[in-house]
Amino acid sequence: MMFDPQVIIEKLPEIASGLFVTLWLWIAGVLGGVVAGFVVATARRFGGTLVNAVLGAVVEVLRGTPFLIQIFLLYYGGPFVGLMLDPIPCGLIGLTVYSAAYYSEVFRAGYASVPIGHVEAAACLGMTRFQTISRIQVPEMALIVLPPAINLAVILLKESAVLSIITVPELTATVSAIGSQQYAFLEAIFILAIVYWIIVELTDRLGRMAENRLSRLRFSKA
Amino acid sequence: MTPKLFTLLLEAALSTLGISLISIAIGFAIAMLLSAALLTGKSIYVLPARLFISFFRGVPLLVQLLLIYTLLPVIGINVPGIVAAIVGLSLCTAAYQAENLRGGFASVPRGLIEAADVAGFTGAQTFIRIRAPIALRLTFPALVNEAIMILKSSSLVSVVGIIEITKMAQDLASSTYEPIPIFASAALIYFVINSAIALLGRYAERSLKGATA
Amino acid sequence: MSVPAIAIRKLVKRFGETTVLQDIDLEIPEGKVSCLIGPSGSGKSTLLRCLAFLEEATSGMITINGEALGFFEDANGRRERLPANQIRTVRTKTGMVFQQFNLWPHMTALGNVSEALKIVRKVPKAEAEERAMTQLRKVGLENRAGHYPSQLSGGQQQRVAIARALALEPKIMLFDEPTSALDPELTGEVLNVMRDLASDGMTMVVVTHEIGFAASVGQQISFLDHGRLLFSGPPAEIFAKPRHPRLEQFLDTYLDRGASMLA
Repeated sequence: MMFDPQVIIEKLPEIASGLFVTLWLWIAGVLGGVVAGFVVATARRFGGTLVNAVLGAVVEVLRGTPFLIQIFLLYYGGPFVGLMLDPIPCGLIGLTVYSAAYYSEVFRAGYASVPIGHVEAAACLGMTRFQTISRIQVPEMALIVLPPAINLAVILLKESAVLSIITVPELTATVSAIGSQQYAFLEAIFILAIVYWIIVELTDRLGRMAENRLSRLRFSKA
Repeated sequence: MTPKLFTLLLEAALSTLGISLISIAIGFAIAMLLSAALLTGKSIYVLPARLFISFFRGVPLLVQLLLIYTLLPVIGINVPGIVAAIVGLSLCTAAYQAENLRGGFASVPRGLIEAADVAGFTGAQTFIRIRAPIALRLTFPALVNEAIMILKSSSLVSVVGIIEITKMAQDLASSTYEPIPIFASAALIYFVINSAIALLGRYAERSLKGATA
Repeated sequence: MSVPAIAIRKLVKRFGETTVLQDIDLEIPEGKVSCLIGPSGSGKSTLLRCLAFLEEATSGMITINGEALGFFEDANGRRERLPANQIRTVRTKTGMVFQQFNLWPHMTALGNVSEALKIVRKVPKAEAEERAMTQLRKVGLENRAGHYPSQLSGGQQQRVAIARALALEPKIMLFDEPTSALDPELTGEVLNVMRDLASDGMTMVVVTHEIGFAASVGQQISFLDHGRLLFSGPPAEIFAKPRHPRLEQFLDTYLDRGASMLA
């Protein structure tokens, strides 16, 4: 058996297009998840007992079941309820919903980390709830939520490989297809692993740099 | 969706549970070895352990499974698919568990280790009798979380053809054309098992606390 | 007789089954320093928090300069919640100082003080900061304007918090045990700022354990016990002997905290 990654590397443009799909799905999924997760956490905090209970149950189910099953439900089950989705939009929606559930927990912890007195001080000064959230709670929780938010982003990058199973033409699908065509599956998977490894390490480092910058910019609590 | 189909899913759940539990256990053993290697502080042990942890935390589990599944036969190891799947899950969870344990070992009070030194414990004895039990207690909640993660991740072994809940659901969905009730049932089973693990974990955590207090 | 700064009528506050405040009736005159004293759990902090609308009373009514705070209750006890923007307007007539300072850690002292001017009063940044500086000067901290809360001592933080509460130029200042979280040697600087405010004629309601401060600066002392207002009056009357047995008992526990001067 010869190990010859050359046959895979020759297909660089195709790999690049798969990588591109992975990256944009990932970034869109993370951004969508951050926004939706923040909305969910905020609704849970201020929306009353019923809203909190219902959203809490949805979040628990999304966190308690495999991403793959959720994707199958959306992709294969969707058409039965009139939701015909192509692989890419299906993957994007699935990834966003899944990440929103996890990000909502990050922001929930973030809200809980801001002492209630800081919010009361804002209320006494006549700030509206929106002003209090945007000027006090969000900036105060930023440092606390940053590390878990970055961790979660890294986890989501890895989860996005699952989308290859419903034929989303992302990195894993593209490279393993090349591997099969070229009769060099092991080489293909090996290269695939290395590419993911590099992106994950880079993201981790960038995240840590951002944390350091932020903690120097803002003053940590005494 | 008939009760018979649901029973099939439940049977497959046993396979999911089995695969996950075995992987968690093997992963835990490897994670302890990795921790011991990291604690030696000798680069000959530390570097490979770090590389291992970084790799298995840096690569999607699906890719790891494909890699192991393809690699094993090539290097002359012919094992059933399920063994390859368990190897894959174990290595992956070992890396995550090692990372959790690292935090636990770091918070073992220095004084306890020095006390063991003074009492004449060898390095291995200190590790087994003092450091590991304390670190384990500290990281127990993370271990429970990891068990839940692995249970969910085990759905990926369906990709290499292992029959567990997800694979069973997929097969049933394509033969019955009832994907919604079948995948929803599968999701429900996962959810119930995970909730049970979380509950047991909290219970165990409380009794652990009781034992230390 | 003019309208009292604060009028509290038949105020009741319950948390679930527990009644924390029972039928409180109290008028706080304008330009006076009114101290709420009493053992812990007596409800004095809850009463103050009702005045800041941080707690919503179960029944009864509070008026600030004659305007209803939060709820309007007619003679038949029918109660109606006022619109949110009106609540905000009325509550900014008071400024609140907390036991735990509650400065926003991500803003400098100047930022803390100018924030509400900028976003609530929509004052342009430069003017807001100038006005904030004036308040910081008043509490003697103009040279700490650029410091973050974590870089300030407890006493300095509390003085910034007072400046922040003063920024919107409230008619009334509410203090919730402003020195209880401070090391003893830092209480003096905060009490001095409060004395200055009092001599400027600010209406102040102070929940405090500093009996010495209450006796010397307070013009109205209210003693609460088990959610009831036992009595209220000028210090000379309240602290004169013979005292109410509950007050006597309360003062005994505070003898070494400044109450010895009343012994």
